[in-house]
Amino acid sequence: MNSGVLQAINGISFAALLFLLASGFTLSFGLMRVVNMAHGAYYLLGGYIGLSITRYTGSFALGVLGGGLAIIPIGYLIDRHFIRRTGENHLAQVLLTVGIAFVIGDVALKIWGGDNLKVPTPIELRGAIELPGGIIYPTYRFVLILFGILVGLSLWLIYHKTQIGAVVRAGVDDRETVSAIGINIDRLFVLVSAMASFLAGMAGVVGGAFLTLYPGAEWEILIYALVVVIFGGLGSLEGAMIGALIVGLLDAYGRWLLPEFSYFVLFGPMAILLLFRPQGIFGRES
Amino acid sequence: MSAAIEVSNLAKVFGGLRAVDGVTLHVAPGERRALIGPNGAGKTTLFHCVTGTLLASSGQVRLFGHDVTHLPDYRRTELGMGRTFQITNVFTELSLAENLVLSIIGTDRRKWIMHQPLSAFPAIREQALAGLEAVGLADRSDQPVKLLSYGERRQLELALALNTNPKVLFLDEPCAGLSPGERARIFNMVRALPRDITVILIEHDMDVALGLADRVTVMNRGRVMAEGTPEDVQANPEVRDVYFGHA
Amino acid sequence: MGSYRIVLGLVALAAALLAPLAVGQFWMTLITQIYIYGLLALSVDLLLGHAGLYSLCHASFFAIAAYTTAILQVRHGVPTLLAAPAGILAGTLLAILYGASVRTRGVYFILITIALGYIIWGAVYRWASFTGGDNGITNVPPPSIGSVTVASQTAYYYFALAVVLLCALGYRILIRSPFGLSLRGIKASESRMRSLGYRTTKHLYVAFVISGAMASLAGVLYVYYNRFINPVAASFQISVEVSLMAIVGGSGTIIGPFLGSGIVLGLRNWVSSFFEFHAAVMGIVFIATILWAPHGIVGFFSRLHARGAKTKTAPP
Repeated sequence: MNSGVLQAINGISFAALLFLLASGFTLSFGLMRVVNMAHGAYYLLGGYIGLSITRYTGSFALGVLGGGLAIIPIGYLIDRHFIRRTGENHLAQVLLTVGIAFVIGDVALKIWGGDNLKVPTPIELRGAIELPGGIIYPTYRFVLILFGILVGLSLWLIYHKTQIGAVVRAGVDDRETVSAIGINIDRLFVLVSAMASFLAGMAGVVGGAFLTLYPGAEWEILIYALVVVIFGGLGSLEGAMIGALIVGLLDAYGRWLLPEFSYFVLFGPMAILLLFRPQGIFGRES
Repeated sequence: MSAAIEVSNLAKVFGGLRAVDGVTLHVAPGERRALIGPNGAGKTTLFHCVTGTLLASSGQVRLFGHDVTHLPDYRRTELGMGRTFQITNVFTELSLAENLVLSIIGTDRRKWIMHQPLSAFPAIREQALAGLEAVGLADRSDQPVKLLSYGERRQLELALALNTNPKVLFLDEPCAGLSPGERARIFNMVRALPRDITVILIEHDMDVALGLADRVTVMNRGRVMAEGTPEDVQANPEVRDVYFGHA
Repeated sequence: MGSYRIVLGLVALAAALLAPLAVGQFWMTLITQIYIYGLLALSVDLLLGHAGLYSLCHASFFAIAAYTTAILQVRHGVPTLLAAPAGILAGTLLAILYGASVRTRGVYFILITIALGYIIWGAVYRWASFTGGDNGITNVPPPSIGSVTVASQTAYYYFALAVVLLCALGYRILIRSPFGLSLRGIKASESRMRSLGYRTTKHLYVAFVISGAMASLAGVLYVYYNRFINPVAASFQISVEVSLMAIVGGSGTIIGPFLGSGIVLGLRNWVSSFFEFHAAVMGIVFIATILWAPHGIVGFFSRLHARGAKTKTAPP
């Protein structure tokens, strides 16, 4: 029984990480109709940069912040000068951003090498805490859940309760009309893109502290983020939340119960969902 | 003798908008029916629901007595419905001949042939050229459609619908955006269609609509507001009001 | 077909047939690889260039076919005459299953095929007891029927060339057939096709399965050529690369995917001799192609030709 609960917490903490990555990805698509496969590379690069900042300054918080902030200009440049040229041709976007991810991956390899690197966490977050029910759980991963909830709540509040959020929602719903009524849709794109980049970079640092960073990690995390978005539906913030939970839990239980087939446990339900509802839980019919 | 097209209390709802709000229509076989009304009256949406491009929210559609309300569009085409679109919907990347070929074999089992090239079926190509000839485009048969002018594309749009072997033809503003000469051409083409094809057309051009029609249905705000012969409808004060009276 | 194209084709064929006599071992093995990946790229292009579907899971069919044949030959001593068709069948069965993805369109289709591709990759990678995991399956014997064994590099070169030529011929008939035209119609306007009476999803499904069968054939060719198979063959990177090959060479043509295969493999080979970061180079090729040459090499020359001469667009 305890093990089951333990896996659930594992799943939820992984879900928190996935949400950080998937939320930006899904909103980028919802508003800008962009499929950015370099998101995984943003995660990795942000993670490495955060790692270096943490090592240099001794502050994990600075690393998290720095890793996120560093990706903002990179993401902006890529959006403006590369992705924008593909219009709404999704295959072109996929191939282009995969190419960009390859380049970023190799640059990262050159700078940080090929070993598994771990982002050092502050003393307070190391060790374990005791949860109700007598479960001993790594502090860091527990705090990650709280962090994920915090970010999720903030995003949700901004999205649903503020004016800027309303504009973004309107843009996701009907881009042409929003543009037609005089809102600077370009600036909106920049804002959402910056947020997505920031979250991805931050996720890299946060993830790099327990999953470690290594060449190839950008693709492993990306595929999880894609499954989250497939489950939850492109363009939906709630979808990213629910999708992340589903994926996190399926992954944790899959690894625990059927380690050789954990990918099946994850993708099987996804495939079945797709047969009946290709647009995901909260997505709109294309 | 069952009606060619029988629409019973059809409604189509989009969120809060009742685009089609309980329309009932009977079109006799061989009849030429014009569907007119101001913009936003729901005419094209009605077409979509009858031909299967959209599924109706409620109500029924019958084709020669056969209930087709829930059938997908391709099935309705197999059963004899043909249509043109208001926004020209032709295969711009393909050649004119290829466009016609697709129309011709659309309801034909030969569309599944994979082991023989099209060139092994000269009869199909001849039929395609004949179809293009009928709309005056035969000399451009191997050119890509993207080289065609708007008017020529509209003509091709009509040719596509005609070559699916339709029993009931739905024409959505076939003359929209055409020059007077092109308009006359389409008018004559439709007029010359044999009476074993039933024709229902949406048109804003009153001369075309009233000149071709046996009966006219007037729609406004998703509902039928008047129906009768062209003379009846023209004399109807409510119709005049909707078309000419208001600001 | 323009006469210059016939001449070009004959020259290319002659070059292909005579190549082993003129070039060394290294080039011959590289060109053999180009044929095999070109065939895989061609299978992807049936969907991409003709049906307008962007599948990124074709490495799955490729790998499943290769693994099936390998396991049968190596572990169960099944002869080529059975192992090879079994491999093709296995990959095709997967395509029959994965073909359900054609119920989606556009970006959803792309994402779903990416995920489907990862299922197979994950399976061959993690089910180590069955697939050999990271190490894969080695010591695959050369293909043999009766007493005839395709053992030498040269023999395999001709074998692969023959298979590829046969496939290309069949492919040519397929894309010029009514069915082939129906795919291009769907790509041009699916709504129009539906209103003309076509069950578009069914057409796309059939195309997907045929495409998967072709990819499976490429996989069998691959495993006999390499004499081993590992999870890399099922990777997302392979699926993406072969899509790029089709685009770089010229999507919608027959020679395009093979040209693209030549360019990508040739480039990687050349670059890796002096620069270890060939993923970045591949990335730059992707970026450059998408931004500046989206119609590929064939497209580039077509435009040149169209500008230079008066064109009567030839029927396909």
